[in-house]
Amino acid sequence: MSQDLRRDTVEQPDTGLHSKGLSTGTVGVLGLVVIGISCIAPAYTLTAGLGATVSEVGTQLPAILLAGFIPMLLVALGYRELNNAMPDSGTSFTWATRAFGPMIGWMGGWGLIAATVIVLSNLAAVAVDFFYILIAQLTGNQAIAELTDNLWVNIPTTLAFIAAAAYISYRGLNATKVFQYILVGFQVSVLLLFAVMAFTNSTPFDRTPITLDMFNPASVDSFSAFAAGISLSIFVFWGWDVTLTMNEETTDPNKVPGRGATWTVLLIIALYLAVSLGVLYWAGVGETGLGAGNEANQESIFAVLSGPIMGPLAILMSLAILSSSAASLQSTMVSPARTLLAMGYYKALPPSFAKISPRFMSPSVATIVSAAAAAVFYVVTRLISENALWDTITALGLMICFYYGLTALACVWYFRGELFTNVRNFFFKFLAPLVGGVVLLVMFFSTAVESMNPDYGSGSAIGNVGMVFILGVGVLLLGVAIMLFTRVRHPAFFKGETIKTR
Amino acid sequence: MKLLVGYTADQRGAEAIELAAALVQGTLSPSLVIAIVLPASTPFSTVYPGGDHGFDSILSAKVDEWAAHALNQVPAGVTVRVVARSVPSVAEGLMELAEDSGAHGIVLGGRKRHRAGFFMPGGVANALLHASSVSVIMSSPQALASLRAAQGRITRMTAFVGDRPGAREVIASAARFATARGVDLRVATLVADSDVSDPATELNQHLVRTRKFLTELTDSMGLQASVEVVSGQSLDEAIESLEWIDGEFAILGSARLAATRRLFIGPKAQRILRQLNVPMAVVPN
Repeated sequence: MSQDLRRDTVEQPDTGLHSKGLSTGTVGVLGLVVIGISCIAPAYTLTAGLGATVSEVGTQLPAILLAGFIPMLLVALGYRELNNAMPDSGTSFTWATRAFGPMIGWMGGWGLIAATVIVLSNLAAVAVDFFYILIAQLTGNQAIAELTDNLWVNIPTTLAFIAAAAYISYRGLNATKVFQYILVGFQVSVLLLFAVMAFTNSTPFDRTPITLDMFNPASVDSFSAFAAGISLSIFVFWGWDVTLTMNEETTDPNKVPGRGATWTVLLIIALYLAVSLGVLYWAGVGETGLGAGNEANQESIFAVLSGPIMGPLAILMSLAILSSSAASLQSTMVSPARTLLAMGYYKALPPSFAKISPRFMSPSVATIVSAAAAAVFYVVTRLISENALWDTITALGLMICFYYGLTALACVWYFRGELFTNVRNFFFKFLAPLVGGVVLLVMFFSTAVESMNPDYGSGSAIGNVGMVFILGVGVLLLGVAIMLFTRVRHPAFFKGETIKTR
Repeated sequence: MKLLVGYTADQRGAEAIELAAALVQGTLSPSLVIAIVLPASTPFSTVYPGGDHGFDSILSAKVDEWAAHALNQVPAGVTVRVVARSVPSVAEGLMELAEDSGAHGIVLGGRKRHRAGFFMPGGVANALLHASSVSVIMSSPQALASLRAAQGRITRMTAFVGDRPGAREVIASAARFATARGVDLRVATLVADSDVSDPATELNQHLVRTRKFLTELTDSMGLQASVEVVSGQSLDEAIESLEWIDGEFAILGSARLAATRRLFIGPKAQRILRQLNVPMAVVPN
């Protein structure tokens, strides 16, 4: 027909994608601190991570928290370099693939997916615990808080939380600025209130004086305890590095990211020290009663301690933890979904993973798969482990060490041609990521070997092998199996056809 | 005539293009703007961990693919371009794009959905129906079937009006539409029993009066239009007694509540939306 009548134009510059639309240059230092703290979700990380860390390092808790930040900082510096060099791909999967080739790149992506899926199941479980605790506090009926121990109640509720979070992220609904400010402000205030009340409480359970030795990492009993403590404290800082990767969103890319990252970490360390010292001072590390060394208290420290310390105000703590874990549940759901999407897009997974919902502009298959994986992981852990929360957090620390370590080394290898051209490159592209990456991988192997011991973590075991080992290493081996399967079925990615390696 | 299509790369989007193309074809300089609206990423919705995971570049490639696919669905003879924009809200984005491109209306594909017995236009349609400064045109699979049965040609315009002053403007827009395409114009009014205080005695009189008002009105505007005043116990029953031909297109006015030159859909129009199985436009007054 009269095809020549038609004038088609596709306006490319109007997409606003490469400039990220409206978000350019709107975030100042305060905004960045809020974003950083909301990613860390301190109320959630403390309740989930503090007890498990105490079980490893006892009164050296403050020391290990401080020490744990160092590898995180070193790796984050490497992340920032990779992010600046490849801003459009922004994930461990593509970075590691470009540096080390498809196989290791695939495992880097898998490590990130596994870590986020594990944290999703833990976030949901913590949210559910505090959901019931909050209802119990509101109604004054203590029996409701114990409902969470009933698997027939706990598992369906947790699955409902995961499904709701998946639905919200599939619909592409996002937290707004006001919401984040309120959430972060509330969390920080409640945690500080907890610390103040712990120190001013007239009847501490086991008053333990604060000593300088608590800040000395060398006083930790053994190297394995130190390694396990570090891998757990990586978890409590997980999220901080986001402040370093924000550039174009800030009002002044030269100053804001650095200042924002510094303020975030100073604030968060101060908060962590205040709370952990408060816990040690009030509860001690005794293994009976309310002691922080009591295994029964370690899976969720605030669930046990906020009542005795804060009295009726404990309800604020429940609210802070519930809101921070529910909000993180939703925002974290996006992460594995997008990595799965990227892997599908670059043909490292079956192409259906690359589907994007045309209505909501979000990954469709990948979101459902992430939620289903988190649900399955939770149900399996809950059914076979005596202490699911604890074991998942320990397995999570393992997984974070794995993919962070790998990504940090990817940074060194990716920039291998320019490492020694100037002092800046030497420090940020070579020394920092190399030391950080090696430290984390050492922590990974040390903790993995240690976790084979059936007494490790909560003490659950299958066939005389520790539960944490089975969870952590099992998930990685599952990844290897899926990778080999994909390699046979969809070889394009593994032949280097979709992502060019350097 | 230029229309903006709120496009999603699925069946709805295809239906919206089909209807929009049918509406602009035969008018002077027929033109479509196909709008793909993307969510704006705000720094406060940061994904953690691991940055954006390359999502923006993948989405960008996907949008190019969708755009090419959308262009292929537009019949020859229609000028068309695709725009994509990141915005905080889809409805706002469509209104902005309609304004920027000077479009006469926004076309949406939709589904008839019933929730707890109520018809709900989709979230985007609903927002547009309450705020747009240009006409909002909606299709549904049923409406498209009617259009297809007429070989994709609009065959008649029906303007839904009340007996209030706003009627003149709705009839005028419908008449412009009809004249541009050389099709008949019909003016329809729905009367439910509850519109009069005592149906037994007053209904007939009310119907006669309304018919007289509308006939005089169309005559005074110099229009050749058929006038139908239909009644029923309820509005739904009244709507059912209207006859429809294949390829018919309905036009409704915005509620009197609306601010000048903005849409605000009233309860009566909501009910009509629910019942009609033809494509329809809601025009601002």
